[in-house]
Parts: sequence; structure tokens; C-alpha cells
Amino acid sequence: MAAAGGLRRGRLWRGARVRCQHCPPLRALQASTVLRRVSDEHKKEPFTSSSQQHFDSPPAGHQPEQEPQGPRPSYTGQGGQESEDYESEEQLQHRILTAALEFVPEHGWTAEAIAEGAKTLGLSVAAAGMFHSDGSELILHFVSECNAKLSKQLEKEQKLVQLGEAEKKPIDEFLRDAVEARLRMLIPYIEKWPQALSILLLPRNIPSGLTLLTSMIDDIWHYAGDQSTDFNWYTRRAVLTGIYNTTELVMMQDSSPDFEDTWRFLENRVADAMTMSNTASQVQSTGEAVVQGLMGAAVTIKNLAGLNQRR
Amino acid sequence: KPQVHTAFIRGVGANRIYAGQMAVLGRSSVGPIIQQMWNQEKDHLKKFSELMVAYRVRPTVLLPFWNVAGFVLGAGSALLGKKGAMACTVAVEESISEHYNNQIRTLVEEDPEIYKELLQVIKQFRDDEREHHDIGIEHDAEATPAYSVLKTAIQLGCKAAIFLSERI
Repeated sequence: MAAAGGLRRGRLWRGARVRCQHCPPLRALQASTVLRRVSDEHKKEPFTSSSQQHFDSPPAGHQPEQEPQGPRPSYTGQGGQESEDYESEEQLQHRILTAALEFVPEHGWTAEAIAEGAKTLGLSVAAAGMFHSDGSELILHFVSECNAKLSKQLEKEQKLVQLGEAEKKPIDEFLRDAVEARLRMLIPYIEKWPQALSILLLPRNIPSGLTLLTSMIDDIWHYAGDQSTDFNWYTRRAVLTGIYNTTELVMMQDSSPDFEDTWRFLENRVADAMTMSNTASQVQSTGEAVVQGLMGAAVTIKNLAGLNQRR
Repeated sequence: KPQVHTAFIRGVGANRIYAGQMAVLGRSSVGPIIQQMWNQEKDHLKKFSELMVAYRVRPTVLLPFWNVAGFVLGAGSALLGKKGAMACTVAVEESISEHYNNQIRTLVEEDPEIYKELLQVIKQFRDDEREHHDIGIEHDAEATPAYSVLKTAIQLGCKAAIFLSERI
């Protein structure tokens, strides 16, 4: 079951992958929904029976849903009639997950949190059956929400700079601030975040998690003003990903007031990266100078030896 | 947009090919002509780089390879003599013009109004490339020994490179 789910995930990830990175962070979830709509598969998942119990509050005629990543039976019997104000499935899931976040500090990233969230929306707790029992969707939802918030913030800051109301930050400061802003969003959930990280490492979740991470890093570099179109594009993103991941891990074990140690660690890592790039360009220019020196020496020797005569 | 990416890769390739040709034939009689064509390619490449950043397109991982391969192709064809270099130019420019024409057709089909500026740019570039192609023909590219073999081989190579770049 998990393997089939994994295969399907692989397919959906490849299908959703486009060259342009400037896509909404919810791409992974939305893509899975789109692919599910066009999929012909009609396999039944085991916990269909539990989620089929009752669904009082959602609009009449709404079939109980299965997990977003799995296949689902087609909407038959209702004749495809859907009222105008019928919210789509993603929107409903979105609302439930957002409501569930409030309960995460207490219940962790679990079906209980989702059930509580569903209750606050006036839905039955069976709504939690829509999702995996390990809270994967909740975590992915949270991550993509954080990324969206970060993008908006960076965009706002960029507008301020364009309007001339703010100074353009030097790159290291910009990167530091962006990573700090993003990591600060974890603070309310920091107790349960290690659990979330381990769930994100499940093979099933790795594609989506990775996509969210790469698009966030791409966003940060875009707003930092990265204009590279050569291999630098890759090295910069790789370096920033490393900085982000290590800082995140440090934050998990940080007990200093307001995570000062983490921010200091971040500052050092960013400084390291800057030095590294400076060193790299220094090495390159030194290398070029050395080569030119050697060529000059070779020509001189040729001249001395009389080998350079024009014929 | 993947099209921007493909155009960018072609630009990079053309740039490197001319660089290779200049390295070998720079001091010969066709040097100035190649230099002129190379300068135009550099302009094109600059424009494509800007588009890449504007549309936030990811360049292919294979970029360093194409840098080297393009240079080698240019230098190699130039070692075959001036006619060889011209033959290579003709082959590459022909495939580039074809690509531009396809792009223009696609954009016009979709919506000529939205893409007006882009269309203008591409049309200009296409005309430039056609000019390069004609210069190549003028300089006896077709007189190269094994011209058609060489041309087909180069065009196949370009197609393969683009195919891979679109996927990786």
C-alpha cells in the first residue's frame, strides 16, 4: 500500500515538476489533487469504511474523501451537480489543517490535533480520517504556509526598497534575516518540531518536503537579488540549503533566551559562506594570474631559444 | 517557461562555438567576420540571461558541459579550415533559425498581443541568425568536404543537447 502510494507520489512529483520555480508553495498538494482528478484508478483504501460513516456538516451530496495522495472513487451518483458555494476539497482540507495547527503544541502532529481542528470548524472528528494518521499532511501544510508567509514578507520588503523607503541590505544580512524570519515561525511549535522533522524524512514525504524546501531557498535567493544563470545558481542554493538545515537542527537543541545561540550560529555560517565565495574567486583570479605568468615565461623562453621566428 | 531555457542554452552554445572558432581562426581572414557574429551572439545571450532571471527559470545542470562542448565544436570545426568553420556556423544557425520560427509560431498562436515585445525580440534575433547563416553560405560553407555529413552530425548533436537540457 505504501509502496503503491510511493509510486504514485513519484509520478505526481514528476508531473508537477516544471522548469519555472515561481509556483505556489501548495503545488505539491494541488498537483496531487489535479492528478487524482484525471487518474483512472479506482482502488479502495482500507480506511474508507471509517471515513464513510457520516459527514453531517459538509454540503449535501458531498462524498466522504480519502487521503489526498491516494486514488479515490469517482464522484458518481451525484450527477456532478455541485452548488456554486461548494468549496473544493483542497479548500476544506486547507481550513481543517489550519484550524488544527492551534492544537499541535498540545497534541503534537497527530490525528488528534486534526480532529480537534475539525471540531472547531463544526465538522465531525471523522474528518481526521481524510488524512494520514501520522500527521504528514499537517506538517506539509504548515511548512508551505510558513514558506508563503516568508515570500510575502520578502516581497513586501522588496517593495519598500524599490520605493526607496528602505535601504537595500547587503547579501549576508539579507540571508541572515530571511532565514531567521523563517525559523522564528517554528518557535510556537518548537517542542514538537523534531517529531515533524522525522516524519518529513519518511520516504513518502521526501519528494514534497524537498520541493517545498527548494522552492523556499529559491525564493530567498530571488529576493536577495541573485541573477546567476550559470552553475553558480546551483552552488548558491546548495550552500543556503546547508545553512538553513544546520541552523534548524541547532535551533532544536537551543535553550538560550530567545534562541540567541542559534542566531549567532547562523551569522557565523553565513559569514563562512561569504568568505568561501570570496576565497573561491580569489583562488580563481590567482590561478589565472599564475597561468598568465607561465605563458609569459614560455614565450620568453621560446624567444630566447629562437623558436619564435616568423616565417 | 521552458522555451526561455531552451533559447538560453542555444545562446550559450552559439556563444561558445564562436569563441572556439575565434581561438583557432581569430587571426585569419575570416576572423573579423566571426568576431562580428560572435558579438551579436553575446548580445542575444545577454537578453536571454535577463529573461531567465525574470521568469526565474532554472538553468540545466549540464551547463558546464555545454560550455566546454560548444568551445570544442567551434575549435574543432575551425581546425577543418575556414570552410569547416563556416559549415558549422551554417548548421548551427539553421537549427537556431528553425527553433526561433517555431517559437514565433507558438507565441502567435497563443496570443500575439501579450507577447508583442517578446515576439519582436525573437523576430529580430531570428533575422540576425538568418544573416549569420547566409554569411556562412557566402563563405563557401557548402564547399566543405563532407558538408552534408558534417552538417547533419552537428545538427543531431545540437538536438541531443537540447533534449537532455530540457530534462535535466
